[in-house]
Amino acid sequence: MHNKFKDWTIFNLGDHAIVFALEAKMDVLILNKLKQLTAFVSAKKIKGILDIIPSYHTLTLVYDITVFFSNTKNANEQLALFSKEILSEFENTISKEIINDTILYEVPVCYENIFALDIENISKQNKISAEEIIQMHTSKIYDVYSIGFLPGFTYMGMVDEKINIARHSVPRKIVPAGSVGIAGFQTGIYPSDCPGGWQIIGRTPWKIFDPQSDTLTKFKVGDRIQFCKISKHEFDYLNEYA
Amino acid sequence: MSVKILHKGLADSLQDNGRYGYQHLGIPPNGCMDNLSASLANYILQNNDNTPVIELHFPSSKIQFLQDSIICITGANFVPLVNEKSIALHTPILVNKNDVLTMLQPLEGSVAYLGIKGSYLAPDWLNSHAYNGKRLNTNDTLSFSSLYPNDLNKVKNINEQLNHTLIDKIQSNVFSNNTPLRILPGPAWKDLSQTALYDLINASFTISGQRNRMGYHLSGPLLHLTKPTTYLSSAVTMGTLQLLPNGSIIVLMADHQTIGGYANLGQIILVDLPRFAQMKSGVSFKFNITNLETAQTLYKEMYATFKY
Repeated sequence: MHNKFKDWTIFNLGDHAIVFALEAKMDVLILNKLKQLTAFVSAKKIKGILDIIPSYHTLTLVYDITVFFSNTKNANEQLALFSKEILSEFENTISKEIINDTILYEVPVCYENIFALDIENISKQNKISAEEIIQMHTSKIYDVYSIGFLPGFTYMGMVDEKINIARHSVPRKIVPAGSVGIAGFQTGIYPSDCPGGWQIIGRTPWKIFDPQSDTLTKFKVGDRIQFCKISKHEFDYLNEYA
Repeated sequence: MSVKILHKGLADSLQDNGRYGYQHLGIPPNGCMDNLSASLANYILQNNDNTPVIELHFPSSKIQFLQDSIICITGANFVPLVNEKSIALHTPILVNKNDVLTMLQPLEGSVAYLGIKGSYLAPDWLNSHAYNGKRLNTNDTLSFSSLYPNDLNKVKNINEQLNHTLIDKIQSNVFSNNTPLRILPGPAWKDLSQTALYDLINASFTISGQRNRMGYHLSGPLLHLTKPTTYLSSAVTMGTLQLLPNGSIIVLMADHQTIGGYANLGQIILVDLPRFAQMKSGVSFKFNITNLETAQTLYKEMYATFKY
């Protein structure tokens, strides 16, 4: 199945998932629409849907083949009908009930050298001072486009062109939890110690993934984030008590 | 009833059918690499289907049973031994207190399952017991409740009820190496060059030595896109064929990341994943395109056989 409905493209991902896609670009209008469709589909509590995964311009629904369909005859037709029904209902309600559970977070980040493993590197490559990098990184409000790769890893955008930098060609063996980095137009936060290739410019004392908490992750797709600069002193305090 | 890991194996873990509903937070499903063999172990033991099993890779853990119990080993044939004496696969086996299970050699397949009669006694995390990247360690102890008294008669009763046709059907589905792996084309299919498309369908591939629960790297012809393309990360599933920038393919497995930004060439269909998971490195195979209806019908047929 490969269908169109207004701005949407709908296609199968293997034999047990379906994707609703908008134009493939990092764009806050696309993100907002996707976020609304995510909330819309989640609220329907459709039988047999196992996972609802928004990311940038796509929403993927993973389903249990044995529960989602009553039979497998004409599965493509059933999926086409299902997606058309969902999207037409969604497009009709969207203007009336804008779902707004977006939270704006002010996330403390210590940009001092001990944590800013790659700030000198960016400074050299992009011909910009460390102070300017920090100023630029903290002056914008970013949108959360995706959470994934690792539990809680938060992808945000878009950073200023002047601090846009490619990933390391060889990933670091360990990037410490809380590290804040840049990869292209994206900025992200590492939830746990793991290998990674992003250019690290600081660290937050916040724990953005906690397997025992109710929400599990601090952020969700569509949330907005502004970073604020803190000292190593403040970092140590927050790390211990916050 | 408890089992104790006397000596840890290479990559053994506790798994079940997986943890769904949290991929939007980056939490992967995990679960068994070959859920057909795992389900078979629970089926033979008359356990609930989602009862956790111990997934064994080779070299496998050395495991001691701290009470009498009934076990069943399915999946790969690693030549299981209890107290150095060989035991049968796909059969309920009575083990006694302090008996020790070891695996001798990887004769056939890549992943074996140890099922234990009863239910697993530990709090779950997000409705699943599947280990999330963690491995079984030396001295770990796992507790199972035994629902029935573990006596020989019970084993005999189970044995008499065993559906050997079903067991044979599952075995042949999981261990027939000469049939192609069926795939459905993915979003980056259209970006492949003509040569790459031809190679993907006609050439032989093997699983390289670089393989683990996250993914299997393939050896084979290098495939290229018509032009360099970048993709925004989107959701992936177990069985996704990702094309790496160097032209090689990695197939995502049970511990896959929730989203991926590499070219998504397609997905191995669910019903063929157990066979792929069990394939040994170096054995050549081919891909074959199928359609959604076939994939889903085959899947339903296979799993319907477990209803009892």
